[in-house]
Amino acid sequence: MSRPEVQGRVRRATLPNGLTVLGEFDGHAETVALGYFVRSGARDELPQELGASHFIEHLLFKGSDRTSGRDLNLRLDALGASVNAFTSEETTVYHAACLPEAWAELLFLLTELMRPAFRDEDVEVERGVILEEIAMYADDPSSRTFDELHARAWGAHPLGHLVLGTPQTVANLTPERLRANFEARYAAGSVSLVASGLFDWDALLREADALTRGWPGGAFQRALSPHAFPRGVHVLPGPDLARANVALLAPGLRADHPHREAAVVLADILGGDNGRLYWSLVDSGLADSVDLSHVEFEEVGAFEGAWSCDPERAAPTLEIARAEFARVQEGSVTDAEVARARKKLAVSVALRAETPYARLFTLGMDHLYLGRTPSVTESVAAFERVSRRDVEALLAARPFDALTVVAHGPLAADLRATLKP
Amino acid sequence: MPGGLTVLFEPRSGPGFALELRLPVGAAHDPLGQEGTAALVEEWLHKGAGERDARALADAFDDLGLRRGGGVNHESTRFGIGGLSADFSRALQLLADTVRRPLLPKEELPTLLDLARQDLEGLADSPPDRLAVALRGRAFGAPYAHPASGTPGGLTAITPASARAWWRRHYGGRGAVLTVVGELREAEVFAQAGAAFGTWDGGGGELPEVSFHADFVAHEEGESQQTHLSALFSGVSPTEADWLAFHVALGALSGGSASRLFQEVREERGLAYSVSASASVTGGRGFAWAYAGSTPERAGETLSVLLGEFERLSAGIGEGEFERARAQLLTATVFGAESARGRASALARDWLSLGRVRLPAELRAELRALTRPHVNDFLARRPFTEAAVMTLGPAPLALPTLRSAHVPA
Repeated sequence: MSRPEVQGRVRRATLPNGLTVLGEFDGHAETVALGYFVRSGARDELPQELGASHFIEHLLFKGSDRTSGRDLNLRLDALGASVNAFTSEETTVYHAACLPEAWAELLFLLTELMRPAFRDEDVEVERGVILEEIAMYADDPSSRTFDELHARAWGAHPLGHLVLGTPQTVANLTPERLRANFEARYAAGSVSLVASGLFDWDALLREADALTRGWPGGAFQRALSPHAFPRGVHVLPGPDLARANVALLAPGLRADHPHREAAVVLADILGGDNGRLYWSLVDSGLADSVDLSHVEFEEVGAFEGAWSCDPERAAPTLEIARAEFARVQEGSVTDAEVARARKKLAVSVALRAETPYARLFTLGMDHLYLGRTPSVTESVAAFERVSRRDVEALLAARPFDALTVVAHGPLAADLRATLKP
Repeated sequence: MPGGLTVLFEPRSGPGFALELRLPVGAAHDPLGQEGTAALVEEWLHKGAGERDARALADAFDDLGLRRGGGVNHESTRFGIGGLSADFSRALQLLADTVRRPLLPKEELPTLLDLARQDLEGLADSPPDRLAVALRGRAFGAPYAHPASGTPGGLTAITPASARAWWRRHYGGRGAVLTVVGELREAEVFAQAGAAFGTWDGGGGELPEVSFHADFVAHEEGESQQTHLSALFSGVSPTEADWLAFHVALGALSGGSASRLFQEVREERGLAYSVSASASVTGGRGFAWAYAGSTPERAGETLSVLLGEFERLSAGIGEGEFERARAQLLTATVFGAESARGRASALARDWLSLGRVRLPAELRAELRALTRPHVNDFLARRPFTEAAVMTLGPAPLALPTLRSAHVPA
């Protein structure tokens, strides 16, 4: 294995098979968090196989050739461990936390998870669970609105792939295709084992090496492609709903962009608890909540926001939001607004580092997206450095002129005419 | 504090502090016919306080980068703040302004009432929320039957004068607790709490009794993809001796991936993505709430398995199940105390429900002393037989016959 690199409190090594092991020790912690971070997600799927990454995530909990899913669950529960996983457009993460004395058993079980058997009967039962999950989100108006927004904004770009897939694609995924996807995208070079909290680095590295020695090497190569969001306003009919959900998207910055902190500050100035959209839409009573955040991917980023309102207010609230976007683009952002937003974000970064479990996700995601793991102090400083000029530089590109908008609810058919693009 | 507020401080190292102010009043104290008052007042407080109008108040919190949380349920009203230790004193002053010296501008009230109306209408668009509201409305008597956000009629009846009178009567130090966790000096915490809240008197309110009507199966029509199912059982309150046994039993039922509900509903049959049962407290009484969502053609089986598993609990749990459920509760005491915010909240909850604080180590000792016979004795004495069951979906389900429900080996 490579000589471990030490960067602050973080150590990182690459095993001979290509697996990265990365850990941040905290002598004050009372727990340890472990996670396998896989650089693979919905964007890496073939269009006819949407939902494969998420299906694979579910099947990992069904056991390996030598350990049944039931046994895995029994042993994980016996540790009192908290275990879960998620799939996104670009990553799949298996994460857990336990008391320090149980770390070796937890690492064994998490690693066992990573060698799924893809038994036919397990695939069929889990297909039912996933179809229920799709139906559950289909009952949520906000999820429906965002799915439509993403379809409109991303078009054929792979970042528009639905993470859960569709009932049709999920119905068609065979054990063989799932296994083929797994083999193509879970090679050791695409996976990182991350640890945070109270653990022994040398022992972790030794165990990880022993447990993953049989893993095939290599790494999945992702195709990146630039994207221009199409401007437009779309109505998703929802005749039975009481309220309208409005969601919008505008171009932002990619995850490793040197000014991404400024984009996060801008999102807070506009869409935070004390942001401009709050005062114009919620304080005025026109909408019952509003938020805007900055989402980041490998080669592109976006501002995404949403609110819900009485159906007849969908058009007027959109006009008000547009007016707010126009005002910030005309140079009205103040030093005080920037100072407040960056302080709030800096404090939130500092406080989030409090538990090993929360720190695990920052470490893993920073590693995947930046190729390095800034210390908490560094991450705090990155926000504290953001100036009004940085925010204005972003706004000079007039990102909010290119809005993609979806309104969902009992909206008149002629609303699209009112909601001019 | 002289006015009646209890202040609890737990030191810990780290860059930040967390505090929670918890008042023993909430939606259960809404005046009859003015349901929604407690939640409305909590929103109204943020429309300006002390020398600051609404924007200046929000800016003052943000200038310090403070993270705010909180909310209103039937039993309590919570204000949580997290920030850097150096800003503790100013955070406390802002909180004192907010709850003791709010401007309560009457011109803001119509907007807040309209927002509450919108919030209620939004519940109708979410099948699980609509189900929870409907089940609460039917299973509990007043003043626990309405959602904390109020009722359409109740909101209409609230006036600036009635809401202001409610704030005067129920906000105060009596029965309330302020918890502080962080790297701060003890003497300083109490001195500053004294300066901010020492003379805060009055307030509080007796917790009304809750009446529970079980033994019904009802259905709400809804054009949803899934049929949403919920069951509410009588449980154990934190002041009862069986509290931990109840939690271990619920852990065996729904605590982890090997628990009975997860295994039988999801892992073995693939009937649902979401299935759970958890403990809750309403009006000082303990309950177990269960929920699952399944597409209509499978929902009948899901309900049958769910209710069958509750019934089967009365026969007791196995040694492995007991050990796993206990192990999860033991580690939960460690995870729960890890974050300052979580700890501040747990301290406040203990104080209001038990009148004392439990240290994680004390809870662990109690858990270690618990045995499987104790849990099984509890389950035999208090089986989960009577349930309030409600479903929401395109069509009512055929009533499950509990005795014939699936009983796994």
